Amino acid sequence: MTVQVLVKPNTYIDSVSLMSLSTKANQIEIVEQAIIAMGTEMNKEVIRNVGLMTPEVESAKTSDLVIIVKAASEELCEDAFESINELLTKKKDSSKGKSEVKYSTITSAVHGTPEANLAIIAVNGSYAPREARKALENNLHVMLFSDNVSIEDEIQLKTLAQEKGLLMMGPDCGTAIIGNVALCFANAVRKGNIGIVGASGTGSQEVTVRIHEFGGGITQLIGTGGRDLSEEVGGIMMLAGIKALEEDDATKVIVLVSKPPAPSVEEKVLAQIKQCKKPVVVWFVGGNEEKVTQAGGHFAKMSKEAALKAVLLAGADESKLNKRALNLPLIEEVRAKLNPQQKYIRGLFSGGTLCDEAMHIAMEKFDNVYSNIQRDPEYRLKDVRVSQDHTFIDFGDDQFTQGKPHPMIDPSTRIERFIQEAKDPSVGVIVMDFVLGFGAHEDPVGAMLPAIIEAKQAADEEGRHLEIIGYILGTELDSQNIEGQINKLLASGATHASSSQNAGLLAREFVVKGE
Amino acid sequence: MRFAKSGDGDFIQRIIHHKFHGFVHSTFNRTINIQCLDRGDLYTLACKGIDNAPNTLIIDLDHFEETDIWVNDVVSSDHPVLLIANKMSITMNGVKNWNCELPKYPSEADVLIMNVSTMKQYINLHGNNSRIERAFKSGNPFDDEMSRMLHERTQLLVSELQNKRISTAITHATSLIGLGPGLTPAGDDFLVGLFTVFNIENNRSFLHQSFCEEVVLHAKALTNEISYMALAKAAVGQVRESISDLMEALFRGSEEELLLALDRVLAIGSTSGTDIALGIVAGLEMNK
Amino acid sequence: MSKINELFTNKLNVINVGIENFRDDLLKQNANVTHLEWTPPGRGNPELIAALDKLEDPSVTDKIEAANKEAVERIINSQPVLIGFDQAINVVPGMTKNTILHAGPPITWERMNGPMKGAVTGAIVFEGLAPNIEEAAVLAASGEIIFSPCHEHNCVGSMAGVTSASMFMHIVENKTYGNIAYTNLSEQMSKILRMGANDESVIQRLIWMRDVLGPILRDAMKLNPNGIDLRLMLSQALHMGDECHNRNVAGTTLLIQALTPYIIQTNFTVEQKKEVFEFVSSSDYFSGPTWMALCKCALDAAHGIENSTIVTTMARNGVEFGIRVSGIAGNVWFTGPAQQVIGPMFAGYKPEDSGLDIGDSAITETYGIGGFAMATAPAIVSLVGGTVDDAISYTTKMAEITTTENPNVTIPMLDFIGIPTGIDIQKVIQTGIMPIINTAIAHKDAGIGMIGAGIVNPPIEAFEQALLALSENIK
Repeated sequence: MTVQVLVKPNTYIDSVSLMSLSTKANQIEIVEQAIIAMGTEMNKEVIRNVGLMTPEVESAKTSDLVIIVKAASEELCEDAFESINELLTKKKDSSKGKSEVKYSTITSAVHGTPEANLAIIAVNGSYAPREARKALENNLHVMLFSDNVSIEDEIQLKTLAQEKGLLMMGPDCGTAIIGNVALCFANAVRKGNIGIVGASGTGSQEVTVRIHEFGGGITQLIGTGGRDLSEEVGGIMMLAGIKALEEDDATKVIVLVSKPPAPSVEEKVLAQIKQCKKPVVVWFVGGNEEKVTQAGGHFAKMSKEAALKAVLLAGADESKLNKRALNLPLIEEVRAKLNPQQKYIRGLFSGGTLCDEAMHIAMEKFDNVYSNIQRDPEYRLKDVRVSQDHTFIDFGDDQFTQGKPHPMIDPSTRIERFIQEAKDPSVGVIVMDFVLGFGAHEDPVGAMLPAIIEAKQAADEEGRHLEIIGYILGTELDSQNIEGQINKLLASGATHASSSQNAGLLAREFVVKGE
Repeated sequence: MRFAKSGDGDFIQRIIHHKFHGFVHSTFNRTINIQCLDRGDLYTLACKGIDNAPNTLIIDLDHFEETDIWVNDVVSSDHPVLLIANKMSITMNGVKNWNCELPKYPSEADVLIMNVSTMKQYINLHGNNSRIERAFKSGNPFDDEMSRMLHERTQLLVSELQNKRISTAITHATSLIGLGPGLTPAGDDFLVGLFTVFNIENNRSFLHQSFCEEVVLHAKALTNEISYMALAKAAVGQVRESISDLMEALFRGSEEELLLALDRVLAIGSTSGTDIALGIVAGLEMNK
Repeated sequence: MSKINELFTNKLNVINVGIENFRDDLLKQNANVTHLEWTPPGRGNPELIAALDKLEDPSVTDKIEAANKEAVERIINSQPVLIGFDQAINVVPGMTKNTILHAGPPITWERMNGPMKGAVTGAIVFEGLAPNIEEAAVLAASGEIIFSPCHEHNCVGSMAGVTSASMFMHIVENKTYGNIAYTNLSEQMSKILRMGANDESVIQRLIWMRDVLGPILRDAMKLNPNGIDLRLMLSQALHMGDECHNRNVAGTTLLIQALTPYIIQTNFTVEQKKEVFEFVSSSDYFSGPTWMALCKCALDAAHGIENSTIVTTMARNGVEFGIRVSGIAGNVWFTGPAQQVIGPMFAGYKPEDSGLDIGDSAITETYGIGGFAMATAPAIVSLVGGTVDDAISYTTKMAEITTTENPNVTIPMLDFIGIPTGIDIQKVIQTGIMPIINTAIAHKDAGIGMIGAGIVNPPIEAFEQALLALSENIK
């Protein structure tokens, strides 16, 4: 019998692997006995007690892995070490994976992959313009996810992109679909013949999802970033986007999604709509119908309406569409359950445009609508932590995202606020969105569920009905399983709205008086 | 950029408010240890799903495979971001602070007595072949000898503690350190369990805290750095979240809560969880 | 078709910068993605970003590129040849009897660390300027000794780099550009002057090197009219598994093989020649300084090219790490604190025993060997705590901060690509990737010597200052 020792200095292997390694080593046929243990004094004592101590083992340190093999001959010991080493390295190999080439700069990456055609840039806003410029200089189209980029930088980047004939989506652009590939926050939707240029992320997501539900599909969704239609930027990307979609053979209908543009920009956009050979549907949240119609555009006041117009223009048969009309009996039923103090809507949104749409729907019937994103300073919340009358909160706005991930990823801030609102006896209905799709939370409804159930129970105990409306933005192709999300929502006793538009309308109608 | 989900409050403060300098000490599939240069302390980065623990940060990652992080990679901080060479950056934005707080000893011991007895039975049925519990016959002389020594020394330690012979107890405790197969030797794990109980406030054996400190003084040279860190922390009542949850369940929980918490502890390492649990039982039974 | 419409029809191929989850989502949709290992340029310092922007202005980039092209061409085309050995006092410019050269950027006696103080006092005793170490320390502090960096005298010195008048030097001539570089001889062993040891055995060895080894080598090379082409030999050594900083097994064999025919023809006794061969075979490090002189010789030829952002010197004095840049001529040093070397240590020593990074040997990495050529030396990856894959990735990573590859010195394992050559300050600041340096570890106290070996990165501050100076200097 020969005993051979191998000491592997500073080798740490987790206990589970160590145990299985030890078991396997003892199963090697030629091995009489194998010991694999850390070289601690006490373990050495055990080794001494079983008569296997050698000077090598004696000198091992506590951080060393000691391997002792007892076999019939020296050669067999060597063979055993080889097998044990194989077991050890096998583990290493699997953890290593393929060694792909790593690049540190856009320039070196383009050098290494000349086929690259688009850069997604999501770094701190103070570094973002520099990276975007590098990408444009290397002839890459750019999607700039970062926010906190100055308007001067935005103008400079977009002008450079315009000169080079490239897309400069963003800054603060979170949603795009290019060549049927969803970028950052977007939903999985069918390929089709409708192209979208959107200055607002969730607004564009909503339109793609509704188009998908109506059986239509998307060619491209070009994001522009929220400031593109400001006076200063002048709509450079929206104009470029319309032009590109007009020239794109696959696109039959164009949809524009934005807040209302600055007047001078609106003029330019309308002029381009007028010239455009393809039908253009315009959904400017809270925008003006007359001018759009005059320019030959198709005006939509709300999101579902925009999607519907687009699919009809693209050739859908109206008689075959399920337009998902409002559930009128439900409205009556809920109104009957609410007591006279329960007057107000509280909208808690993760999607900015979804918040905006619901707010505008409420503003059609109420004056006292407050929000952190109200354009009229008089109706802007003084303290975003305290609601006032009808309140709509966009949790994706800067006040809530300082140093925190976006509410579509981290729902905690909204959950806390929900608990607070649910206790308010003047609240009649709470309306919330749950955004699915790429980039979003794996189970947004599930995260909110315990809070909903508890709040409903507490309200019941106080003898008050708490109405909760949930809208789930997504398609059956999204990874989160929309069916499961809807079922979870319904199981909690909340009302499920079938679109952003319906969510806004239901919320308003539940609390409207005197009709 | 990766997000830290939660972590030890002091560790997070160090990253946010001070400069952290160190290097990767050891790497595993789901955790990596980093050694801090100024004090030599070990810290752990763990994947989600692993429980909070002293000196540990849980990050939003499923595993460390394919991250290309290797031993000796330089670790630094640029508040509030922890950088591992240029291979991974982890931001503390939105991280949840966690601090280990052990529950207080219950004023009524009825629940506890019942729970300890349930726990013992459960470990017997579902524990992972601990070498401490019963002398283990495997046919492998090394394993058998190891089991014999672990069994014998834990028995001796418990009996000396029961008889309040602290100085001999320290000798026996020291003889357990570094004893056992695995990354954290079984003897160390048992002591972690025991130390946990000794750090429970209002516990009659609360006085044994100085015993913990004394034992740890000897530990540094006797075991590896990873296991030492766990021991040193446990000696001052800092243990991982699953262990403190188990204590809470033992003191005040229903049987179901107890077994849920116990299952999470038993799942630690290969036999580590079982050995820790046995240490806890031994510590609690001393109060009888 | 416009570029935007081309994008609509071509397969999407994305470069992802920042949030990694976006890459995963794209991969799920079968798009091609390259995720950048991105860190904020200049560690996010706005002043540095502004400097980078200034250097990237189209009006100056062309000039910088042309200057850098010239600099790396001079590094690559340099043909350093070992032409002889002689005492420093006879050959080194500016050398005097009471001058002591040291490694790294300039430093005063008071600020020197343990190993360097140990080496300086040892050298003073060796030169007979003081009878013992204690008095040598008094003399060193008196101001009568002139301290000056090796680099400012066309020299390099490994570890403490301490070089005094009567020590024997390699003489390496650049056959392409005419400049000459010098370095002293390896002391072999670990308890040696350059590592801070200075007891009787160390001084005795220095005396033997002065009286026997040096003269034999000098006389041997006098018999070799063509000199020894070091670049050719370096390239062979790399193919034989040396990276020529921490591993010199092959290089030392090649060098002594080339010297032997001349050594045996010298007029020394067989006993003395035998001592020389025994000394050489006592440590693989014998050729280590030789490669340093080669590198110094090539890099000096590339120093002082207006507008060039190429690093021509990296050197440490144990307290500071200093670099020089081609575009800023002369002896302008940019410095930052010397770093701790991380790696395995000899038994009985702990990381807290180690002195900080020291020595001019980082000239090898500046040239593109040593840590930059790790891929060619799999035998020593354990020394730097990694695997063969690691070694390869060290080399490929250095390509991100260098300008070109040197076709004269190649790495078989990487399909014979040349060593990464011409560290560009701009790229270092932009990527945050620091040069990787293989090196030895000296004990922090005087008188002990080498206690380990490992790897170290320079402090980024030195590169940041250099970038700022370059952006101000640019014409």
